[in-house]
Amino acid sequence: MEMKINWKQVLIVVAFVQVVYLGKASADEPSQTGAYSKGEMLYALQIKPLFAAKCNACHGDEPEKIKGDFDMRSRDGMLKGGDYFAEEVVILGKGDDSFLYILTTRAEEDYEMPPKEADALTKDEQWAIRDWINEGAPWLEDEIVLAIQDKYAEGVKVVTSGGLSDDWTNRRYDKADIWAYQPITAPILPAEIAPQQAIDYFIGQKLQAIGLPPAGEASPLELARRASYNLLGLPSHPERTRSFVQAFAENPDNAWRDYVDTLLSSSHYGEHWGRHWLDVVRYADTSGFANDYERPNAWRYRDYVIRSFNDDKPYDLFIKEQIAGDELYDRQSSEGLVATGFLRMGAWEQTGMSSATETRQLFLDDVTDTVGQVFLAHALQCAKCHDHKFDPIPTQDYYSFQAIFSATQFSEPEAAWTEAEVQKGMEEDRRLLEAQYKSAVGRLDKLNRKKREREKAWFAERGLPYKSVSEAKKAGADPSQIPQDEEIVMPEESGLHRILRKWKSRYSWEKDRYMPYAYSVHNGGTVLHKEVSRRLPKPDNPMDTGELEQTAILDGGDLNSPSTPVFPAVLSAVPGSESIKLPKDPEGRRLSLAQWIASDGNTLTARVMVNRIWGYHFGVPLAGNPNNFGATGKKPTHPELLDWLALEFQKSGWSVKAMHRLIMNTDVYRRSARHPDQRALQEKDPLLESLAQFHPRRLAAEELRDSMLAISGELNRDLGGIPIRPDINMEAALQPRMIMGTYAPSYVPSPLPEQRNRRTIYAHKARGIRDPFLEVFNQPSPEFSCEQRDSSNVTPQVFSLLNSKETQDRSVAFANSIVTLSPDESPENWIATAIEKALGRPASDSELQLFCEHYHEMLPKHRSAELASVVYPTSVKRDAIDEVSGVPFEFEEELFVFAEYHPDQSFADSSPEVRALSDICLVLFNANEFAYLY
Amino acid sequence: MKNPLFRQSAATRRDFMYGMTSSIGSVALTSLLSREARAYPGPGAQAVHFPKAKAKRCIFLYMEGGPSHIDLFDPKPKLDELHLKKFVRDGKAKSAMESGKRYYVKSPFEFKKMGQSGADMATAWEHLKTNADDMCFYRGLQVDSVNHPAANYQANTGNQFGGDPAIGSWVNYGLGSMNQDLPGFVVLPELAQPQGGASNWANGYLPSQFQGTPLRPKGSPILDIHPPKGVTKEQQRKNLDLLAKINQMHQEKNPHHGDLAARMENYELAYRMQSQVPTAVNIESEPKSVRKLYGIDEKPTDDVGRRCLLARKLVEQGVRFVQVYVSTWDSHDSIQTAHGSLVKRVDKPISGLLTDLKERGMLEDTLVIWMGEFGRTPDNGLRGPGVAYGRDHNSKAMTVWMAGGGVNAGHTIGATDEIGAEAVETVHHIRDFHCTLLKLLGLDDNKLTYYHAGRFKQLSQFGGTVIDPLIA
Repeated sequence: MEMKINWKQVLIVVAFVQVVYLGKASADEPSQTGAYSKGEMLYALQIKPLFAAKCNACHGDEPEKIKGDFDMRSRDGMLKGGDYFAEEVVILGKGDDSFLYILTTRAEEDYEMPPKEADALTKDEQWAIRDWINEGAPWLEDEIVLAIQDKYAEGVKVVTSGGLSDDWTNRRYDKADIWAYQPITAPILPAEIAPQQAIDYFIGQKLQAIGLPPAGEASPLELARRASYNLLGLPSHPERTRSFVQAFAENPDNAWRDYVDTLLSSSHYGEHWGRHWLDVVRYADTSGFANDYERPNAWRYRDYVIRSFNDDKPYDLFIKEQIAGDELYDRQSSEGLVATGFLRMGAWEQTGMSSATETRQLFLDDVTDTVGQVFLAHALQCAKCHDHKFDPIPTQDYYSFQAIFSATQFSEPEAAWTEAEVQKGMEEDRRLLEAQYKSAVGRLDKLNRKKREREKAWFAERGLPYKSVSEAKKAGADPSQIPQDEEIVMPEESGLHRILRKWKSRYSWEKDRYMPYAYSVHNGGTVLHKEVSRRLPKPDNPMDTGELEQTAILDGGDLNSPSTPVFPAVLSAVPGSESIKLPKDPEGRRLSLAQWIASDGNTLTARVMVNRIWGYHFGVPLAGNPNNFGATGKKPTHPELLDWLALEFQKSGWSVKAMHRLIMNTDVYRRSARHPDQRALQEKDPLLESLAQFHPRRLAAEELRDSMLAISGELNRDLGGIPIRPDINMEAALQPRMIMGTYAPSYVPSPLPEQRNRRTIYAHKARGIRDPFLEVFNQPSPEFSCEQRDSSNVTPQVFSLLNSKETQDRSVAFANSIVTLSPDESPENWIATAIEKALGRPASDSELQLFCEHYHEMLPKHRSAELASVVYPTSVKRDAIDEVSGVPFEFEEELFVFAEYHPDQSFADSSPEVRALSDICLVLFNANEFAYLY
Repeated sequence: MKNPLFRQSAATRRDFMYGMTSSIGSVALTSLLSREARAYPGPGAQAVHFPKAKAKRCIFLYMEGGPSHIDLFDPKPKLDELHLKKFVRDGKAKSAMESGKRYYVKSPFEFKKMGQSGADMATAWEHLKTNADDMCFYRGLQVDSVNHPAANYQANTGNQFGGDPAIGSWVNYGLGSMNQDLPGFVVLPELAQPQGGASNWANGYLPSQFQGTPLRPKGSPILDIHPPKGVTKEQQRKNLDLLAKINQMHQEKNPHHGDLAARMENYELAYRMQSQVPTAVNIESEPKSVRKLYGIDEKPTDDVGRRCLLARKLVEQGVRFVQVYVSTWDSHDSIQTAHGSLVKRVDKPISGLLTDLKERGMLEDTLVIWMGEFGRTPDNGLRGPGVAYGRDHNSKAMTVWMAGGGVNAGHTIGATDEIGAEAVETVHHIRDFHCTLLKLLGLDDNKLTYYHAGRFKQLSQFGGTVIDPLIA
């Protein structure tokens, strides 16, 4: 129940501005409100806006589609009633008996209004309808309504470019709902508070207000682990932890500051914070949908993001490069071109079965909404079909914003490698891809030969003078003298032919992976490609190629109903936007947009980014929905702090690293995750917003995998380059999957351990086949922008972490590294090392005892066990169904990689000691203490 | 719900419910359940919106690729006249289907009125014809996309672009679980994943325990349900015991961290599931007569037969929603051969399923749905070799049928035009069909909502109308 009330409160706020006037009206004499009666006041202040927000969509906005023949556009229409309730809808003077009121109370089954429970009217709203009917249901001219609203209505108007209706244009907003459009204001800090203390001051103010003392400081060991994962996504190296703990004992603040600085200077920082960004922009190496084609050059964007974080690229520049890198720099700048890959991160494809104009519109909608969510925390999509229900974003703005991208076209031009880019591993990878390609071509040739022979035989048998179908056709043979495909091609051949044709075309596109192409955009006319299954070059004269689009509002979001033409513009509700003039010319529009987004005066941008940063540090952002600063998003818990941070961010030159230093060098960040007074915490901060303690969190999917590799010593810490293919569950890897018209090739891992065992951010990320391990631990799917990861706790996670061959391999490698390093040590010492490495702290005596008992109990069993080595398949037989004939068939796929595959050291091939120790390592990787961060 | 941490710990309480058995005492169980009820704004098991609804569970037979209504359930004799005559499609948005040389294609299948109700069915349905009176055919359905993955996503989740919760997830979210030991939403895919992949049965923004669990037809039914080869049961048990001890020690230091207990419990559940799941999915023990009914152990029905029988077994054991995938009905080249062999693959198994459910008295409260992502066109374009007697994709006309729990059996609702190109009678968008399915299961689409990304979301996306004639 509690929950429900919460949501309703949210709803009240978002759906309709509460007008407090009502209370006053009943207390005051009508004469005090001038010439208006109580009923008229109700109509102007509550009823009219309420009908507009909750009723007219079905009962008036579209006159030809009025539901139940009940027309609420006029008083007469209302009094007439509709199909189900006639005059009893409004019985003047008798609100309680009028169905207009009764239906809103949801007492009449099957006729609850509005139909959606989520839209239900509040009690106050229901009573307003009743009282208005009691007062005779007066109806006023629009000008009078406006006059009354101007004089008496609470809430604020927001000036925009204007909505589709006057009701929308004139509607009022609760001030709390439009907080993000208010200028960022410098909060007043008491003179004795230094800027470095500001965060603790703001958090402390609120704690004081609720009367909750904060938890004490976390232990240095906890802090070392916390910061290392937070900044690098990797466990702290035991040596580094030890020296930090020592230094901390002498001078905690200095030791901590130095430790944070050391972490920030690591190039693994960019990998971890780049991953956050890739979550938000929905990075993937494939295009999704029916074909899930490779995006062979998308990885350059991934590396660009990692580099940008490592270099602490000013965030305003980061924005400009991603939105308009091609316009910002010289046209040949690789960095600028690669960065614009951002605009194309969504799933996209054009096949022969789809309409190119629709596909084009899908991109325009996607890019409009994405730029809104990512940089401005506004899902603009809501305004595509109608003015935004809750936020001051009219449909006009949606299409004007979209017009900025009307000349934005896809292309993959050549863009020379930069010095920073990594080309390592390409030769090796290319060799395997070539082998796959050649095999497909060879098999196709064979099938074609076979078909030609059969054709020849078919004609010979019938004594016809042709050798091939094409020859017969050329000669104008009668159709009865030409064989049907079924007669000369077996179903399995037809199925295989289809597979191989597709593979050949896929592989040949994938070879672009090694070429310096940029997955990017240019400005120009729109070319409607019938099908896109290869690289799109940039036209020589893009402005003269295809049609230059003129954006128009699409009525109801319908591509076939363009109405008013619009011109490029930014969001009109953001202060200062009226002075922003975007070029009419296609060139430079995106850059102007980016400059506006990245300007100090934009009330959204800096807040949005510092809020994200804060959220990744504490698990809870200050404003709870980093992608939604609108009315339906959660409001900032510490608005002054958010503004203060936003201004500091701008002052620092938009330095993300400066924000990390500011946030981490505080008491609140260093706080313990164990508040001593849990009862007080529950009572005074039930929603855990006060940061009286640090919130524990589970490691993310990538952190789990990367940590196991780091701890086992297998992690190859190389940076960047073409995507690698880690080992994934073999059954999932070889699971056939359908792509348009046929089957996709299997997932095959990279052949060498050092290629596979790199950080997860470098793993090939296909939309159509996900690593089940990462998926089960909540790696978000790249379909939507992910503002914050989920952290579920489900049974299949156990199967992945306890039973998978991958975790077993990590455990064996971990055990082996310990035994190899010190073969003469006692098992007890091995175990102590394992615990310290895995959990980031020394082992306790009782733990050691437990683990040692386990080891000694199990060792004899490992000694007597007989184990068979794992055999890797060099080809796989797969069942399929031929689309042409509907007949099941089997085909063979060669798995070239396994001919030269070097497995990780296996369980079976390890000594009994290593196996016994590996079980302990496995238990450690599954331990709660390993999975959670405090 | 405001705070993600609060939500998380509440969710984890419920996350592990599906594997929970007797190990948690009844007191603890009650407290967990009551806590869960408070944590979820959704109706959950305690609130069925339409208490009179008959269906309590659902078997969804998903015919991937777009089965042809014209050749299976919606005869169009007019096409015999038009066969191979020139066809022009007028589409504002040009795709391959609006261009090039096109021609009408007559159906190679013969039709008869089947059952007492006189349902139109191709005579190729040698077995299913006996079930005709239990089926309700619907010819008025339309969807938005002629692309397989987009249309698959729309049929399964209501949203063309994927990422939203599947119907099975919604139904479980609404009705709750009937067997705590099994997942509430099970998917029985073919060996190959359908176009669009696992997003077709994803939980989307609903909590992850509502995700469809695919049981793989070959190999281990659930990935990694068994430890790697060479790991003995004893070894695993000992490892788990050690894990429990160190987790216990850790929990004593962090008594207020709620996730820890849930995660510990998950390990025990997983251990039990290792033995329970294989039993639950074992159809080998079924009597020969039953196996025969489904066409198991014979070609070409064995594969679909096994999965239909397993679907019955799973719903019998309390799984709320089972989806069976059969591909690929995408017959561009030859309807006769391709659809002919597909009908042979599915006819006996599906008929067997309906018969078996009926004999067991389960058809009354089990809703069976048969549909693909769209129908097919009355015409075709030139294919590789030239003229081909196949059909393209059609989002404007299709036939779906339902049987069991509360459907208007023995009736054909809606109609398409005389060539089967477009629905013209009782025409509804798929969102309305989704509302109808939910209503048959006792759920009101307008009440079955979940707050996500700033608004209350629902299966129909923005609300829809129940198609009353489909309900008895």
